[in-house]
Amino acid sequence: MKEPYFLALFLLLATVACPLLGADALPDVIEEAQTRIVKIYGAGGFRGLQAYQSGMLISPDGHVLTVFSYVLDTDYVTAVTHDGRRFDAKFLGADPRLEIALLKIDATDLPHFKLSEAVEASAGTRVVALSNLFGVAVGNEAASAQRGTIAAQTSLQARRGQFETAYRGPVYVLDATTNNPGAAGGALLTVRGQLLGILGKELRNAQNHTWLNYALPIAEIEASVAQIEAGAFTPALDKVDATKPELAYSLELLGIRLVPDVLDRTPPFVESVREGSPAARAGIRPDDLVLLLNDQLIQSCAALREELEYIDIDGEVQLTLLRGDDVPELSEVVLKAAPEDSVNLP
Amino acid sequence: MKIPIVQPTVYRGLSQFSRHPRGCSRWINRNGRENGTVPFVSSGGSILRHQAVNRHVLQRVFLALVASFLSTALLSTALTGYGAELAQLEEEAFRAAAARVAPAVVRIETLGGLERVGRVLAGTGPTTGLVVGEDGYIVSSAFNFFHRPASILVRLTDGTRKPAQLVATDHSRMIVLLKIEVDEPLAVPEFAPREELRVGQWALALGRVFDGDAPNVAVGIVSAGNRVWGKAVQTDAAVSPNNYGGPLVDIAGRVIGVVAPLSPQGDDEVAGHEWYDSGIGFAVHGDQILRALPRLKAGEDLHPGLLGVNLRGANPAISDAVVANCHPNSPAQKGGLKSGDRIVEINGRPVGRVAELKEELAQFYAGETVRLVVARDDERFERALELVAKLPPYEHPFLGILPMRDPLPDGGVAVRYVYPEGPAARAGIQRGDVLAGREGQAIKDASELRDELAQYEPNGDVGLSAVRDGKTLDVTVKLGRLPEDLPPDELPPAHAGTQPAQGPGAGSSISVKVPEFPNDAWAYLPRTDRPELPRGLVVWLHDAEGLEWDALLAQWKQECDRGQWILLAPKAVDPRRWDRIELSLVRKLIDQMSNEYVIDPARIVLAGRDAGGAMALLVASQNRDVVRGIGLIDAPLPGRIAPNEPLQRLAFFIARSEKSRHAAAMATGVQQLREAKYPVTMKSLGDDSRPLTAEERAEFSRWVDALDRM
Repeated sequence: MKEPYFLALFLLLATVACPLLGADALPDVIEEAQTRIVKIYGAGGFRGLQAYQSGMLISPDGHVLTVFSYVLDTDYVTAVTHDGRRFDAKFLGADPRLEIALLKIDATDLPHFKLSEAVEASAGTRVVALSNLFGVAVGNEAASAQRGTIAAQTSLQARRGQFETAYRGPVYVLDATTNNPGAAGGALLTVRGQLLGILGKELRNAQNHTWLNYALPIAEIEASVAQIEAGAFTPALDKVDATKPELAYSLELLGIRLVPDVLDRTPPFVESVREGSPAARAGIRPDDLVLLLNDQLIQSCAALREELEYIDIDGEVQLTLLRGDDVPELSEVVLKAAPEDSVNLP
Repeated sequence: MKIPIVQPTVYRGLSQFSRHPRGCSRWINRNGRENGTVPFVSSGGSILRHQAVNRHVLQRVFLALVASFLSTALLSTALTGYGAELAQLEEEAFRAAAARVAPAVVRIETLGGLERVGRVLAGTGPTTGLVVGEDGYIVSSAFNFFHRPASILVRLTDGTRKPAQLVATDHSRMIVLLKIEVDEPLAVPEFAPREELRVGQWALALGRVFDGDAPNVAVGIVSAGNRVWGKAVQTDAAVSPNNYGGPLVDIAGRVIGVVAPLSPQGDDEVAGHEWYDSGIGFAVHGDQILRALPRLKAGEDLHPGLLGVNLRGANPAISDAVVANCHPNSPAQKGGLKSGDRIVEINGRPVGRVAELKEELAQFYAGETVRLVVARDDERFERALELVAKLPPYEHPFLGILPMRDPLPDGGVAVRYVYPEGPAARAGIQRGDVLAGREGQAIKDASELRDELAQYEPNGDVGLSAVRDGKTLDVTVKLGRLPEDLPPDELPPAHAGTQPAQGPGAGSSISVKVPEFPNDAWAYLPRTDRPELPRGLVVWLHDAEGLEWDALLAQWKQECDRGQWILLAPKAVDPRRWDRIELSLVRKLIDQMSNEYVIDPARIVLAGRDAGGAMALLVASQNRDVVRGIGLIDAPLPGRIAPNEPLQRLAFFIARSEKSRHAAAMATGVQQLREAKYPVTMKSLGDDSRPLTAEERAEFSRWVDALDRM
């Protein structure tokens, strides 16, 4: 007689659990979210530049969040909702730093995402990306859904020139090819339908020549969106890349001569050290290989030259060197220029 | 130090029930249908009846009630599909699996090296490695080092950087072993036993290329267990330079293999990388890496083990493993294998098709010994053969004759022409003799004799019986090397009593079309009164200046008629350049012409000037089975030359001008071709690039005519 009780208990659990499960079913999640995605049409359409992108409704009154791109670079931007209605979209403002823009269409009672209800997630979270990739959806066709997993949470700020974007901040990297032409401005959701982020523009990773599939977390853009909404806030694009100081370090100043730069990526081996120079004082020797400059990997003679130009002469230069062929070892040295060093330049 | 197991039973269970895309539970499966993949919706009603068979009636009524409620509940659950709890459990399992192996996934940074290798741009970015020894051994994909970096750094999970030495490379599986000095033991991952691998199970590909504390994870399933000749497992997890060198792990975080770009066809570091993020990815089997480790640790580079046989049949999946030819001085030849032998067993494992043999052989490296069981006629014998890394370049032997092209009713090969002072001439063979037997066996035709001769070496002796005026002469010919110079004389006709017909209608220009390609193509059929006799085929691939068929034909018509070869010229869709997709157009044109006309397979030639020549080389490299000659006029030669093949003869006719932009590259290319033992007939055009003169065209035609030499 044990079994029936067990089953009854299960029945109870199943009945209770059912509505909970039902609310989160993936097809339902997608169906609902698709109504909040709009197709955006604007400038472009030549030289391989697509004249379309995606956007998401973030208020019942027609506020559309999308990416800031050349597509919006016209007075005639059109947004088409999931049910095929076409609207002229008014440009409210943009944040060039985050590369997002806010548009407004003239409608009410629209289904929409609430930015305030967005969540954050970690690697391994299953996600759904909704966008009009390749402009495949037209008229009353809904946005395309793709599934994937968050591959990593990382930051786009680390290296100069790694990614061609003004945005420097955290992103979700995805393991699915979500960032295709037209997908930018689409939504990234958990499989439970919670908003996670906005799909970014197409980006190539200059370090390994692969396309990056990523989304900006809503938390990064929420404040900016609110400011744009409040009063057409358009912050100037401040130069986020470190500016070169007026007086910077150089190899000559440090007293280091590198081997002749003949290859594409000549490794920065020290050829000779000038007597009495900061390098000599720090104990740098010929044949040392410079690996890191202030903890940043230096991959060639040219890169070392370039990176030194960003270090103010009042600061310090920390170099990590590789020494010895048979038993290579790392050694760290700190170089500091004294006033007389610049006088002693050959 | 071993990484502690994180509740492996839980995740292993999960991996089983979460494999089904729509919700179904293990609890139900055990009671429901045996296959375990029935969703709730179809099994809800019947489960409990089965459970309650021997119970009291009341109990049954109660159970029936329960069942009906339950099935309703389950029905709604099943319809909703993706259970939130299941999704959450899965995500937790993904994270746990990644976290478990993460300490062994390290970042690799490189300094220096090449900007690009061939067509592939080398990245500078970090790549990934997997710790396999707590004393500092790390494996990675050879792809990550194809740019030959000057220095390698390993960044451990605690952020410390260590200089690494590249200890050895496995050239068969494209895996490298690195070594770093360690202060304390590194975390070593657990490997999943191979026999537990199931297609459809979860597979996570990990890399460590993005900034942050955690590795990057791509989630997918195992798509196939044995790929690329049994070396790799296939997955649909997104695989790219973002995780090459990292592990592919199961849902319990145990290593299935090491992610690497691989291709069943290519064999260099970058082969297969063009498939990145396209739903197909490979990881080299973990057990094979572990097996190779001791030799790699000893600093030994491992190479694919070669047997030195060519096998019969074009399709490895359906052809039996029958030896067509043994490479001179190869392990197979030294072991006494002969043409016609059937390989039936390798190290105790039965082998049927060519593909099975290749897969079994791919498990072994050069220097290892395999035991083959070979069937010859009615006997079977066993041979232990030590595989080698490299076969000496194969060189074709030369008998010194051209064959007549009419088939003989009783078989044999009639001699059309004897090369003056060649091997046959020295042995006393004369024009008009019929070669009837070789080493006591009857000769069927010229094509068979050419293939049989391929297993001799230059300088080898072959016994032939020649029939002259009804008498048989037995001679021994000391074979020579294929000549690069053209036959000095005007060649006698290749057919008995034929001269090109003079009548009307013979000799016509036709338009050729391959249905699925938009390209135009034209062909000229030379004048003949015996269309049943095989003719040569020269495919002209135009350069960036495009194609003017009438002008081209005006130049070559006379030679086509005299040399009895068909001229075929396709036009690129964009007449200024050839597209890769047009590679298969050329193949289809050749196949189509071979179906409609009698084409001599020994005389199919691709020719072109400049970019057209480059296209000819590309087409030839992918169609070695049909192309027998390449004619190049001031065209770039490839840096990498494929090895010469006994049964896939290839000869070159190269015309070069001193001031051509390709002159230097051509000079080194020709040298490489000759080192690889391809016969190269050279023609100097003087200082400036120019079209061939009538005399040079006649020489080219004579070269085409003599391609069926032996």
